[in-house]
Amino acid sequence: MKGSSDAELVAAVLAGDVEAFSGLVRRHEDACVRFAVRMLGSRVDADDALQSAFMRAFRGLRSCREPDRFGGWLYQIVINECRTFASRQRRRDLRFTPATNAIERAVAPGSEPEEDTDVGGHIESALGMLPAEQREAFLLKHVEELSYDEMAELTGISVSALKMRVKRACDELRDLLKGVYNG
Amino acid sequence: MAENYDDSETAKDAELIEQIAARLRVPEHIHPSFEKRLMEKVRAEAGIHFPASGSPERSWWHAERVFRVSPLSALALAAGISLIIGVSGVAIGSRISSHSPTATGVASTAGRDTVQVVRFVFVDPRATSVELVGDFNEWSRGKTELGRSGAPGVWAVSVPLSPGRHEYAFIINGSRWVADPLAVKSSDDFGTESSVIRVGTPANSAT
Repeated sequence: MKGSSDAELVAAVLAGDVEAFSGLVRRHEDACVRFAVRMLGSRVDADDALQSAFMRAFRGLRSCREPDRFGGWLYQIVINECRTFASRQRRRDLRFTPATNAIERAVAPGSEPEEDTDVGGHIESALGMLPAEQREAFLLKHVEELSYDEMAELTGISVSALKMRVKRACDELRDLLKGVYNG
Repeated sequence: MAENYDDSETAKDAELIEQIAARLRVPEHIHPSFEKRLMEKVRAEAGIHFPASGSPERSWWHAERVFRVSPLSALALAAGISLIIGVSGVAIGSRISSHSPTATGVASTAGRDTVQVVRFVFVDPRATSVELVGDFNEWSRGKTELGRSGAPGVWAVSVPLSPGRHEYAFIINGSRWVADPLAVKSSDDFGTESSVIRVGTPANSAT
């Protein structure tokens, strides 16, 4: 199963071998996890969003028209699910003091203190202060290193709008983090 | 290295962005049980989705009541608010505020095109400001404020909404979160109660 292509694994699931879905999950999990954690700023929320996204992918697998491009199709679902969760976070943050992330970071399994936690923490905080659409565009462009054409295909947003979002995100991050890097 | 985000940016600015991005490219991990939990759900639904065709996308959370209001019945509904206040005011007031305002909201839709105008009405004589937040404005404060609408204590705003299911709530006096007492309730994972409106779905009739 390890050597199977995405298309072969998708075909196996559609034929009733649902265990083949775990092969697809493992293959694409890392990129999805990184994006979701960065986008939502919380491992707990990312876990929920990814469980939901992967289940959506499973339920809708028949609608994956290009199984050899399953990764891109899944990523699209993950992006949409993260948008939904980011919206829910906004709603939650309107009501509660957003202190949960710090607590989550403190108790998250496998989280080890970094040498310079302050810089990492400042970056995460600054990223979290961006509007969700700018954060999404910045992550896809500069962290996932996609081209604008790829981003447009994944998000359904025009290249010019994406460029504007990335530009604004960069401006905002520079302003927020100038002090951190310049001392 | 990621390509330049804007040709006009200086190399120093680009370097700063790259430093930030490099930090964010570090792999992330979530709970080790992630795949196990996911595959348990996959196995549980396997019989439903495969090999059966036309899998049931609608699940339990779609089972909320739906109301759809024509322009004429919207007027009738708006006219009936005061009657409804009398019924809902006590229970709602005691839950929302110690001085028992008669708070109630109602949303009605008009129009048959792709985007429909929905009028949100909220009644609270003691309110000094009323805002509407929902998935249609990204739950953002300050984007959709209700204005005073004729009768004392009546606040209203009209919002164009795309067809489909929308969640919303009111924020009173800048701090008090109130779900629409007349609409179907929705509670998210964090226990926040909101309201649900469906727009422009002919299959769903008023309840």
